[in-house]
Amino acid sequence: MSDSTINSTALPPREPSALLGGFNWLARTLATVAATLFGLLVLTFFIGRLLPLDPVIAILGDNASQSAYDAMYRQLGLDRPLIEQFATYVGQVVQFDFGRSLTSGNPVLSDIARVFPATLELATLSILIATGFGIPLGVLSAMYRDSPLDYIVRVLTLLGYSAPNFWLGLMGLTLFYATLGWVAGPGRIDFVYEYTLTPITGFLLIDAPLLGEWQAFANAISHIVLPASILGFSAMAYIARMTRSFMIEQLNQEYVVTARVKGLSWAKTVWVHAFRNIAVQVITVVALSYAFLLEGAVLIETVFAWPGFGRYLTNALLAGDMNAVVGCTLLVGTIFIVLNLCCDLLYHLLDPRTR
Amino acid sequence: MTPPSSRYRRLLAAAAIALVSPVVASAATPPNTLVMAWNIDAISTFDPAQIGEVVTDEILRNACDTLVDFDPDDASHVVPSLARSWSLSDDGLTLTFDLREDMRFPSGNPVSASDVAWSMKRVVELGFGNAATLEEYGFTADRIDQAIEAPDAHTLMLHFDRPYPQELILQAIAANRVASALDRETLMAEEVEGDLGNRYLTNHTECAGPYRLRQWNAGEAVVLEANGDYWGEAPKLPQVLIRHVAEAGTQRLLLARGDVDVARDLAPEDLRNLDGSDGIEVVKALKPQLFYLNLNNGDPIFANPKVRQAMRYLVDYQGLADTVMAYSGTPRASFVPLGSFGALDETEGQPFRLDLDEAKRLLDEAGYPDGFETRLIFGTLPYSAPIAQSLQQNAAKVGVRIELERMANAQLFSRVRGREYQSAIQSWMTSVADAHGMASRLLYNPDNRLEARQSMYPSWRAAYYSEEVNQEVQAALLEADPAAREARYHALQREMFEQGPFAILFQMYDVAGKRAELHDWKANGFRVYYDLASK
Repeated sequence: MSDSTINSTALPPREPSALLGGFNWLARTLATVAATLFGLLVLTFFIGRLLPLDPVIAILGDNASQSAYDAMYRQLGLDRPLIEQFATYVGQVVQFDFGRSLTSGNPVLSDIARVFPATLELATLSILIATGFGIPLGVLSAMYRDSPLDYIVRVLTLLGYSAPNFWLGLMGLTLFYATLGWVAGPGRIDFVYEYTLTPITGFLLIDAPLLGEWQAFANAISHIVLPASILGFSAMAYIARMTRSFMIEQLNQEYVVTARVKGLSWAKTVWVHAFRNIAVQVITVVALSYAFLLEGAVLIETVFAWPGFGRYLTNALLAGDMNAVVGCTLLVGTIFIVLNLCCDLLYHLLDPRTR
Repeated sequence: MTPPSSRYRRLLAAAAIALVSPVVASAATPPNTLVMAWNIDAISTFDPAQIGEVVTDEILRNACDTLVDFDPDDASHVVPSLARSWSLSDDGLTLTFDLREDMRFPSGNPVSASDVAWSMKRVVELGFGNAATLEEYGFTADRIDQAIEAPDAHTLMLHFDRPYPQELILQAIAANRVASALDRETLMAEEVEGDLGNRYLTNHTECAGPYRLRQWNAGEAVVLEANGDYWGEAPKLPQVLIRHVAEAGTQRLLLARGDVDVARDLAPEDLRNLDGSDGIEVVKALKPQLFYLNLNNGDPIFANPKVRQAMRYLVDYQGLADTVMAYSGTPRASFVPLGSFGALDETEGQPFRLDLDEAKRLLDEAGYPDGFETRLIFGTLPYSAPIAQSLQQNAAKVGVRIELERMANAQLFSRVRGREYQSAIQSWMTSVADAHGMASRLLYNPDNRLEARQSMYPSWRAAYYSEEVNQEVQAALLEADPAAREARYHALQREMFEQGPFAILFQMYDVAGKRAELHDWKANGFRVYYDLASK
């Protein structure tokens, strides 16, 4: 066998190790994900059992006789040792059976599948608004530090930080819905459309166009624009402030002075060179903001009668509906893990030092 | 680059229009639909055997007729419903109902007496909280098969263990959700693991009534539609939409804009502002629900009746009625709600007022001249916290130091049911307009031992036990002469002002804000009649 034959048929020497490296990364990641979710499961399950909330009363009501109470207590398996209850529960969860919600009577997964799209839709629009305004405002504020523009941005972001969403929501509804009539009121969509749209994905902003229901689509937009803007305003404040802070730090670096000395425009220096260096940090901030929005904005969901995930989780917790609480907690954990993974991948793409 | 498809262009155009257009706000409610904003978080099922919450009870009463119904104009009387007439045997032990012949379930199955009998037996068999409603009048598991019989398709007979007053029985049993007719055939076809259709009824109503449940999305909305097979007059508004709106301020905005016809959970300040405003009316009806300070008589301090009475003098009834309880309740210290048979009148039923000197004198007599320390727990009802704080401030003036602890309602119920409290703020509602409804739970205690766990009796939860009071409650129940019966309840109420286990605070209103264009909104203490409403 000649050398040339060897060279032409053998794989390049780096590829097997790259493949192996990729496999190792995947295996490590999956193990980390599994360990994190299991840890969450353990914590939530046992904390749930320690909470002074009674799931039996959540089902039977305060009026139930003791015999009915005892029967339901046994039916829920609460008379069995805690470790046995946990083992049974884990056995169900690995088969994606999170049990039934004690309050709605539905399988927890189907409840989550119903409420999560409402939150995902709201959070996604909010983060788009927050990012679309927050990053440019943060960069501009840093570029024109101590200028009137900077002061305006700082006051705006301070307002976004300090004004409670709950209050902003009610004020927004009073002004834009009740007084000016610019937007539709609480809820995801008007009643006339609500039960004529057949859910396909559960996302109204997707389902309505898919079904050709353009009026319903416009109505859904009109409903979502205010809560999304208010949520987006808070997230925008955080993103803008952090972006400003990262950018100011970069603009003090020597390479910026060098670029300017070489004749590069101020805008190009900032947006092309400096921004590239803060991109990784900004992505982290955006991802964290998105994760918190996805976790559910309980107060905004309450004010806007938004049938979302945050309110579902809060109600489940207050009612002692631990099946729903554990299911939701695992979903929140998964959201954070997925967003972390997305961030890691983006780091790889944007920052050669992390490769 | 290929041009975007026309569908895509329309999508972009619609999005752009929606974002910039100032005219997309909601229109008025549909003319054929009753639209309500209400906090309906408490709904967990529509099974009449299981439900206990006010919200579900009201909805179910509009979807499931019972043997008789409360008179919309006078809740202390009943009117025919599934049964067109009834008669009591001479010995007072058998009540016979004659059912209508023209009734069908939405499935098309005929409604028969055997469906009602099956439905009632099912309540006892399933053993949820509502079984107690039947068990209390002798329909226990061991005799239910003989006690309820349907000799033919239109005759239902209830055999009692004792001769209870007819009017009480009609209200307590025949007008209660436990006496609705469920579609046995449909439910048994949907039975899972011997649950008698309990799981299926989580989101269905299979009974005979003016409406039927079309859709329930937990935490979102309930939609009812007129039952085309209804035996009675068709509802004027064929559709009912109940939107879940938890926040009172949001409900107010929806009502003011006309996007809902009725708002059910308005805050006192919203009601005050809306009352008399253009296009909006505030309507209220007294409910047989008492809001009370629960004092654990098992605690050495509250075991003393003088301490309990002192607590009554620490309540600023009028101050609270004028502020936090305006529109929510009326001061009431008697255990019998106004509007019930046997109730003392408004004046005599509320003899207390804030009187620090009297409270101090009673505490001195009770052996607590320097007051005492105690803990008061309460839940998330909006008026619980201000009432608790008001009590705390008044009590501090006579040396009683109250530590407040707020918690989720589920936790509150759990603590009280386990007697793990010193004092608590709670409410209790009865299903009958008769003094026995409250006396049988708030005063009567079958067994006060801790291990007896008679936790469905608030008297047991408060560790209150008096053999004499037990006997008096039973004697009043079985008193054949109505005048003598009423006199017994009057005497019992007066006695409880001094010896009673609780400090009763308020009788609650069912209050709502409604649009003026919604007519015939009929509500009494037990229910709202959706089918009568019109626009």
